[in-house]
Amino acid sequence: MALEFGAQSDIGCVRKNNEDSYRTAAEMNLFVLSDGMGGLEAGEVASRLAVDTVLARCREAELNPSLPLIGEPIEGVSGPSNQLASAIRSANDAIYRTSQQGAGQQGMGATIVAVWCTDERMSVAHVGDSRIYRLRGGELEQLTQDHSFVAEQVRQGKMTEQEASTSTMQNVLIRALGIDPTVEVDVSEELLMEADTVLLCSDGLTRELSDAQIAAVLGKSEEPQAAASRLVDLAKQAGGGDNVTVIVLRRAAKPVGAIARIGGWFKKSDS
Amino acid sequence: MAKLILKFENSVLKEMPVGSKEVSIGRSPENGLVIDNPAVSHYHARVFNEEGRLMLEDFGSMNGTFVNGQRVKMVTLKPGDSVGIGKHTIVVSESREHDGFGSTNGGAKLAAPKINETVMLDTKERREFLQKVAAVGESSQVAPTRLKIATLIVRKGRTDRNEYVLNDKLTVVGKSGMATVKLKGWFAPKAAAQITRREDQSYYIGAADKVPSVNGQPILHPTILSPGDIITVSGIELEFVYRD
Repeated sequence: MALEFGAQSDIGCVRKNNEDSYRTAAEMNLFVLSDGMGGLEAGEVASRLAVDTVLARCREAELNPSLPLIGEPIEGVSGPSNQLASAIRSANDAIYRTSQQGAGQQGMGATIVAVWCTDERMSVAHVGDSRIYRLRGGELEQLTQDHSFVAEQVRQGKMTEQEASTSTMQNVLIRALGIDPTVEVDVSEELLMEADTVLLCSDGLTRELSDAQIAAVLGKSEEPQAAASRLVDLAKQAGGGDNVTVIVLRRAAKPVGAIARIGGWFKKSDS
Repeated sequence: MAKLILKFENSVLKEMPVGSKEVSIGRSPENGLVIDNPAVSHYHARVFNEEGRLMLEDFGSMNGTFVNGQRVKMVTLKPGDSVGIGKHTIVVSESREHDGFGSTNGGAKLAAPKINETVMLDTKERREFLQKVAAVGESSQVAPTRLKIATLIVRKGRTDRNEYVLNDKLTVVGKSGMATVKLKGWFAPKAAAQITRREDQSYYIGAADKVPSVNGQPILHPTILSPGDIITVSGIELEFVYRD
């Protein structure tokens, strides 16, 4: 299965460090992004540790699909989805330990979003307020639910979307990597179809741009790299209050015509 | 409108807008902003608006009130100021459009990002909050989703079985190898529709190669399924039910 992708990370217009990290492993269709937090260099350390640990652990799992899982298996999802969740728990452990060792790194933590595509099945996992979106047929759908205080208030009906978008509590997370010895990872599975576009992003993008603006950029049939750069540019034009990082993936659309159909018939009659 | 953000170390504990009514700060529960700490006086200080300016007044407290490190009696506050009371900090924030982000004022840019930096909910508060969330989640769960098993019953059309139990988080309807509900026929789409179970344990139906209908309505946005819903796609009809 052929995936095209592009990625871009930018410090933004205000911050002095870029605490976001990302990794793309196109050979195994794995894409990971993390937004670090904590003073001094701690945020950068945390996000780098997060993406590197997830990547290393998934590579191991690809070579050895029966690699023992960290934590309880999640029911109703595939092996790779469980390995992805396990890799994220491993990243939590790595950051937590590093944070415990260094006295000056209190409050060190990170978000994580990851997708791992095996054939048409896309494993989606996350912790924190970085997001994953999918654009299909012009419809933008958020595949992750923020683990933030305001998002939870909205889910419980205690706050409106409008109030959430102007609250000064937007930056408060209720779940992140590296804070507690264990972490609950949200995992889901999605179908990745031809011409689907998937976006992974840090909150530096979604604080500045609306879903409609994001959909408009992704909907233009430009190369994923051009879309990634455009999204980052727009976020910076809108203020760039935080670091902005995006990964854009697209499953290439195969031309479907009469010849492909007939090809399908022959295959059918062979079997 | 100005807001006061009460922080302890890196954690935000509370936020409080300052409107026409003053906000009193102190250890006593009668205060608008209560800081339960022995280093804080019962009635420690107050913040109020006066002629469009935001003012802070210390009530002669034992341990003092500090603005950006300086002990103060009565001062004007500006966005980004950091008020120290005991070991707690109160950060002064303006509403979003005036908070200094992206402004040309270099000074404000340096002070403002501190407010917006991502932090975790304080450990104790987080535990309590998550417990509350879990409790709400359980009480709002309708019994069927917990006790019964989501099932699709084939009402019309050709598929490989008559009934499908939705054990997986992702269920695909189509001819694809990963499809649970397998469609027959040469022209059947690889993936006609998809059903996903989300964190709230509800099932959502969404479009794939085809746009399915639920009870005759085309599904353009992913839509939550209710018992008795009839899904129509690619010449088949499925009923969504919960089974014991």
